[in-house]
Amino acid sequence: MIIRLLLLAGLAAIGWFVFLRRNKMPFHIVMVFALLGAGGIAVIAPETTQEIADFVGVGRGADLVMYVSIVAILFVLVRYYAKFVEMQRNVTQLTRELAIMRAEVNHEASRPVTAAPVPTRSEASPTVGLDAPQ
Amino acid sequence: MDVSEQQLGRGSTWVVIAAMNEEAVIGDVVSEVCRAGWSVVLVDDGSHDATAAHARAAGAAVVRHSINLGQGAALQTGIDYAVRRGARHLVTFDADGQMNADDIPALVAALDDADIALGSRFLGKVEGATAKRMAFLKGAVMMSNRLSGLSLTDAHCGFRAFRASVAPQLRMTQDRMAHASELLRKIKTSGVRVVEVPVTIRYTEHSMRKGQHGFQAVRILFDYFFRA
Repeated sequence: MIIRLLLLAGLAAIGWFVFLRRNKMPFHIVMVFALLGAGGIAVIAPETTQEIADFVGVGRGADLVMYVSIVAILFVLVRYYAKFVEMQRNVTQLTRELAIMRAEVNHEASRPVTAAPVPTRSEASPTVGLDAPQ
Repeated sequence: MDVSEQQLGRGSTWVVIAAMNEEAVIGDVVSEVCRAGWSVVLVDDGSHDATAAHARAAGAAVVRHSINLGQGAALQTGIDYAVRRGARHLVTFDADGQMNADDIPALVAALDDADIALGSRFLGKVEGATAKRMAFLKGAVMMSNRLSGLSLTDAHCGFRAFRASVAPQLRMTQDRMAHASELLRKIKTSGVRVVEVPVTIRYTEHSMRKGQHGFQAVRILFDYFFRA
């Protein structure tokens, strides 16, 4: 069946991708390959999902796969959202430190009475990258 | 004695102004505050215009975010900077000309018996607001009191003064607009002494255009609940 080939190819592609990016996280690799293996079994021998579905009390194997997938995807989403918020917090922290440091350097530089006002770096390069929404 | 001594006292009060693309009005706003003798730090939140240069020319210390982070983050940056420069009192002030520098002395004076003084436009005056906006604001006050557990006459007027000693307890982690609700919650949980002081807010065509629209309340609520 063509669908089996497509699904297996997709799983293999994910496996290859993960394998290429392996770096000092054996636990993650093992987890990913275990999940891919389970997926492969479900593709090659769909009746196994039916047996598990019967065991846990779900009508059809396909339904069970869908329920599990939805929960897994939500889990991943929440995890990535937490990461995203944390990263944003770090960006804020970095931007803040940089801003304050530059201002303090300017302040020190402008202290001597004779010093002429020096254009700051920030004026020379007004923006960096993003156009974040206000 | 009086003028210089008064100005000396005022120098240790830092007025924190967060601005984003406000070159049209920022010069007037900053110089109004500077003329009264307060120290001013302007946080330029990644503007694409000459906001920073205008503010510097008007006498403010300028701290510049290289990327736009939002008003909450900008105010917190200004607060951090002012505290490092030895501020005793901090005042938050809007860049768009809605607030009146003449109200600052009353807010700072209120710190004799309190840790934080919140400006209230409903104790004071609102100029130039439409009936629709007033109704929206009243709703916001009810909502905000519900969320924070405080009972205040105004919600997020943004005009406030507090002692530098309570700055760590009132630290804002909300980068965008939900910082105002976050601040009220922190006032409640940290138990700092809070008072309200009447202030005058004047809505102008400029400030209405730059200000928050009703539907943005949804995003603020989302930030408040899901980003804490």
